[in-house]
Amino acid sequence: MSLVAGPGRGGALDGQLPDELQLVAEKHVAYIQKLDTRRDELEYHLTEHLRLSGIYWGLTALHLLHRADALPRDGVLDFVLSCLHENGGFGAAPGHDPHMLYTISGVQILAMVDGFDELEKRVTDGKRKIADFVASLQQVNGTFAGDEWGETDTRFLYGALNVLSLLGYLPHQRPNEEPALIDVKAAIAHIKACQNFDGGFGVAPGAESHSGQIFTCLAALSIAGELDSYLGEEGKDRLGAWLSERQLDDSGGLNGRPMKLVDVCYSWWVGSSLAMIERLHWIDKKKLATFILQCQDPVEGGVADRPGDMVDVFHTHFAIAGLSLLGYPGVGEVDAT
Amino acid sequence: MGRYSDDPAWADIIPLPTDEGGPNPLAAIAYDDEYAEAMSYLRAVMAANEFSPRILDLTEDLIDMNPAHYTVWLYRAQCLFALKSDLHAELAWLNATALEHQKNYQIWHHRMLVVDVLDSCEGEREFVSRMFELDAKNYHVWSYRQWLVRRFGLWEQGELEFTRDLIEKDVRNNSAWNHRWYVVNGREEREEGEAGGVVGDAAVREREMEFAMQAIEKAPQNQSSWGYLRGIVRKAGLPLQGCKAFVQRFASLEQPDEVRSSYALDFMAEILAEEKGSEQQAALALDMLAQKYDPVRRNYWEYRKGLLGVDAVAA
Ligand SMILES: [Zn+2]
Repeated sequence: MSLVAGPGRGGALDGQLPDELQLVAEKHVAYIQKLDTRRDELEYHLTEHLRLSGIYWGLTALHLLHRADALPRDGVLDFVLSCLHENGGFGAAPGHDPHMLYTISGVQILAMVDGFDELEKRVTDGKRKIADFVASLQQVNGTFAGDEWGETDTRFLYGALNVLSLLGYLPHQRPNEEPALIDVKAAIAHIKACQNFDGGFGVAPGAESHSGQIFTCLAALSIAGELDSYLGEEGKDRLGAWLSERQLDDSGGLNGRPMKLVDVCYSWWVGSSLAMIERLHWIDKKKLATFILQCQDPVEGGVADRPGDMVDVFHTHFAIAGLSLLGYPGVGEVDAT
Repeated sequence: MGRYSDDPAWADIIPLPTDEGGPNPLAAIAYDDEYAEAMSYLRAVMAANEFSPRILDLTEDLIDMNPAHYTVWLYRAQCLFALKSDLHAELAWLNATALEHQKNYQIWHHRMLVVDVLDSCEGEREFVSRMFELDAKNYHVWSYRQWLVRRFGLWEQGELEFTRDLIEKDVRNNSAWNHRWYVVNGREEREEGEAGGVVGDAAVREREMEFAMQAIEKAPQNQSSWGYLRGIVRKAGLPLQGCKAFVQRFASLEQPDEVRSSYALDFMAEILAEEKGSEQQAALALDMLAQKYDPVRRNYWEYRKGLLGVDAVAA
C-alpha cells in the first residue's frame, strides 16, 4: 500500500449540485486497490515510513464499503507480520524500527482480518510479545513514548490502551495478573492533565486544544471506562460546544482548531469525538456530508483534504469513516473509538 | 553510478537494498535513485551498528531528502551523542532544516534532545520566533516553546510580552492565547500549595481580564478572546453577573439586529440562565443564535434551551 498522493484531485464535477452528489464507492475501491502498483514513483519510497498505517487506512475504508475482499487477506497478513520485530513492536515497513504508531496499525489490521490465530501460529507468544513491547513504553508519569527515542504524545497513550484492549491484555481483562502490565490510573491522570481551560485537550499539559488530540484523549478515557465519570454532562456540554464550533458555516467542513482551514480528516476526529460524548447531532450533518463528497475525485476515486487538492489514502479513509458516522447510505458502521 | 558507491570513503560498505517483503522485490530494486542508494547504505551501517562522523553526513543527506523518516533521526541522535559531536553545529544545521521543512515534527523532538544535553536555551526563543513569522500556529513549534519555558524556567522572562506581541499582530491567534494561559497559570499547577495565576492572585486576574476585554473591543467576533475571558471567570469561580455590563455592549436583547458577536450572545445566554427569573430572556438569546447568528449549530442551541427548564418559547 502506498501513501502516494494523487494523481487525481478532489472536486465535484462542474455543474453538479450538492443534492446530486453521490459517494463514488466503486471508484474509491479501485483507487485503493491500485495504490500498491505504483512502486515506480518516487513518493512511494518517500512514504515508506508510513506504509503499515497506509494499509490500515485502505483496509478500513474497504471494510466500510463492504469490500474487504478487495485486498487479499493472505497478502495483508504476510506484509503485516513481516513488519513485526522480535521485541513485539511493528515497524512501518520491513526493516524499519519498531514504533508505537505502527504497532497500533499492525494490531488494528490483525484484529480487522481476524488474524490473531495466524499471529500465534507464526510467532510463539505473539500477542504477549506485542503487549510487553507496548507496556515497556510507559513512562513513570503515566505517559507512553513512541519508541526508545522517548517522544511522548497522547496519541501513543491512546494507542497503547487500544492495542492492549484489542489483544485482551488490559489489566481489567486479566485480573489475575500481578503486577498489572501497565498503570492505567497514571495514564488516565495524565490525560486529565492535558485538559485545557476551553474544555478541549492538547498533546501535553498546557498545549493548545486540538481536535485530533481530543479524539485520542476521549478514546483513552472511553477504553479505560472513565469517559462518563470524568466529564459528566457538564464537561460533555462544554467539550461538545467547542467541538461543534469546528464546523464552518460556509463550507460545512470541520477544522481542527479555531481559525484554521477545514479538512476532511476532521470529519473523523471531531465527528467521532462528538459521537463518543453523544453530541454528534450538534453539527449540521447534511452540510458535513456534502463537504466530504465535494472532496472526492469523482472520476479516478480517492478523497482529498479539501476540494482542489490531491487525493490520498489517509483522507480517503477519514472521509469514508466520517460518512459512516453520519449514517451515509451504503457505508458500514464504524466504532467511534 | 551513485553518490555513495563512487565515494572511496564508503567503499568498505556493502549496501543493503530495500526488502519490501512482497512478492515482487524487483520493482523496488529497479528503483535506483539517490534516495534508495542512500537508504541502502544506511541499512548497512545500522546493521553493523556503526557510529562515526560519516553517519552524520549520511543521515543529513537522507533527512534533506525525506525528513519524515523516524529511523534516520533516531540513529542520528544516537550517533551525535556517542561521538560527543558539536551540538551547536547541530543546532545551526537544524535551523536551516526546520525552515525548509516546516511541517516536519521529528525535527522538534530531535532539537529537544540536543538542547536538553546542551543545558542551555541561548538563542532558542529567537529561533522559535523566526519560525512563528512563517507560521504563527505551528503546533509542534508551540509544543517546543512550552517545553523550553518549563525546562529552563522562563515563566517570567518575557513570555507574557511575547504573547502580547503575537496577539497584537493577530488577535485571533488561538495558539498565542493558549500560550498566554499557560504562562500565567501553568506554573502554579505544577507547584503544589502555591497560589497564583488567575485564581490565586487578584492583580493577575484583573490584568488578564482587562487584556481579554481590550482584545474583544478590537475584534468582537473572536472565539479566542471570549474563550479566554470565560476561562478566567470559570476557573476563578466569579459570578457571571460581573461581566453582564461588558457583554451587553456586544449583544443586547433590546437590539436583536445589532449583535456584534455571537460569542457575546452565547455568554449573555449563560449569564441570564444563571439569573433568577430571566430564563425567558435566556431562551430568547438562544433563539437568536439558532435562527440568525449561528444557525449551523441549531441543535446545540436548542439543547441549551432545553436545559433552561422553560416551556418552548415562541420562535
Ligand atoms: Zn487532513
